[in-house]
Amino acid sequence: MKPVVAIFVPQLVFVAAIFQFMPLLTRSGIFFSATVDPEFPRSADGRRVLRSYRWQSGLWAIIAIGLAFVFPTRDPGLAVLAPIVIMIAGSGCSYWLKFREVHARYGQRRPEIRQAELSSQPTRASFLPWIWIPPFVAMAITAAYLQARWNELPMRFPVHWGADGQPNRWASRDPLTVFAPLLIGAGMNLFMLVLAWLFSRLSRNTVMRRITVRLLEVLLYPLTFTFIVVALLPLGLVVPIWLIPGIMLVCVAGLIYWSYRQMAAPAVADAVPDPQNDAYWKAGVFYYNPNDPAVFVAKRVGVGYTMNFASKWAWLVLALTLAIIVGSITLVKPAR
Amino acid sequence: MTSCLPLYTVYVQYTVAGDLTLRIDLDSAVPAYRQIVDGLRILLVGGKLEPGAELPSVRRMALDLGVHFNTVAEAYRLLAEEGWLDLRHGRSARVVYRDAPDPTSDTLREFGYRLRALTAEMLAKGAFAEDLRSAMRTAAEELES
Repeated sequence: MKPVVAIFVPQLVFVAAIFQFMPLLTRSGIFFSATVDPEFPRSADGRRVLRSYRWQSGLWAIIAIGLAFVFPTRDPGLAVLAPIVIMIAGSGCSYWLKFREVHARYGQRRPEIRQAELSSQPTRASFLPWIWIPPFVAMAITAAYLQARWNELPMRFPVHWGADGQPNRWASRDPLTVFAPLLIGAGMNLFMLVLAWLFSRLSRNTVMRRITVRLLEVLLYPLTFTFIVVALLPLGLVVPIWLIPGIMLVCVAGLIYWSYRQMAAPAVADAVPDPQNDAYWKAGVFYYNPNDPAVFVAKRVGVGYTMNFASKWAWLVLALTLAIIVGSITLVKPAR
Repeated sequence: MTSCLPLYTVYVQYTVAGDLTLRIDLDSAVPAYRQIVDGLRILLVGGKLEPGAELPSVRRMALDLGVHFNTVAEAYRLLAEEGWLDLRHGRSARVVYRDAPDPTSDTLREFGYRLRALTAEMLAKGAFAEDLRSAMRTAAEELES
């Protein structure tokens, strides 16, 4: 088996598993992003719709994994990208068709009851410093360690690896190159915290907000681990190629499971619920409500937030996020 | 007795839920700003919001209710005109002490019209006059206490 395929297939299987369970990762009364009777998913029709979607999504997964074996290794990027795009597009279309079916045939309309907390000090999602500070401390300690062993660093070392695990970019020893992984890691951690802060300020007081803020805080750990490992590689640290993606997968799977348990808890109720009308959800996943000043709204399916695409601020946040991603890539390229 | 309960229950449920929560129903024929005014006035008259209390900012309440900023701003402005709120620039809306004005003949006449319309609507729905009297008394006592 090609090395790229050996690394990539487990990740494809993981994404396929997420698609299989995605319709269940939602709140009571929502099924395939459509508002339904809370008992509907357990009914014969509900089970039939879910079964049909799973067959279709499974088929797309088989096609994608099959393509991962077929694609040439001369272009590992294409071998990685094409199957994942096919799987996401195929399963996404299946999901959209099921949303249309459920909404049209079994959908319900709930009263548009809105609720506000009458307190001058609105409830904010709590940030826990003992969760988010240690990753920054760990990176600072790593930076100090690298500085202390500066003379042991080779004059030239790899800074980028291909999907096959082989280095394909090298750099010489200088402070920016040596500390770049830690700087990028700290930047990404900071970005996650800023995102969590934005959710806290610009969204309603829902259960999802609490879950998302905590999730973003905990995600700093696998990210920090990744960047610390990469920063220590020039010192001769040897790690199995599967370690970083493996830890990332385990963390993400654990966090998804934890989020599902939180969302499914029977006593859980939103203090200030998001608007519930299906008409605001285009294709079941894109929220568009020009009257709603909220920039972020809790996703109907899955964990986290989506944007109110009718808000210009949402587009600004999207543009800034893209700028940060493109900027980071551009920043890394000079090290070639 | 049971036939009068929905009138009161629905009114309270769709306007105010709990001491510090405001609810509105966007499906209602009553405009959102009017529902906000009505809901807040119940809390103000009932003393749940006392002088000195700060209300959420216009931005925050609009965000929570999922309505336009102007809707909340209009509601706050109307309550300020009634003398309930102080809306100084750069500060949160603050509840102020307000002397209840003597009711004018116009005010009483308007109340009479609205009450007759509501009573007729409830009688048309099958409520009994005695039930409505009882519900009216209960509402007045709750707000006065």
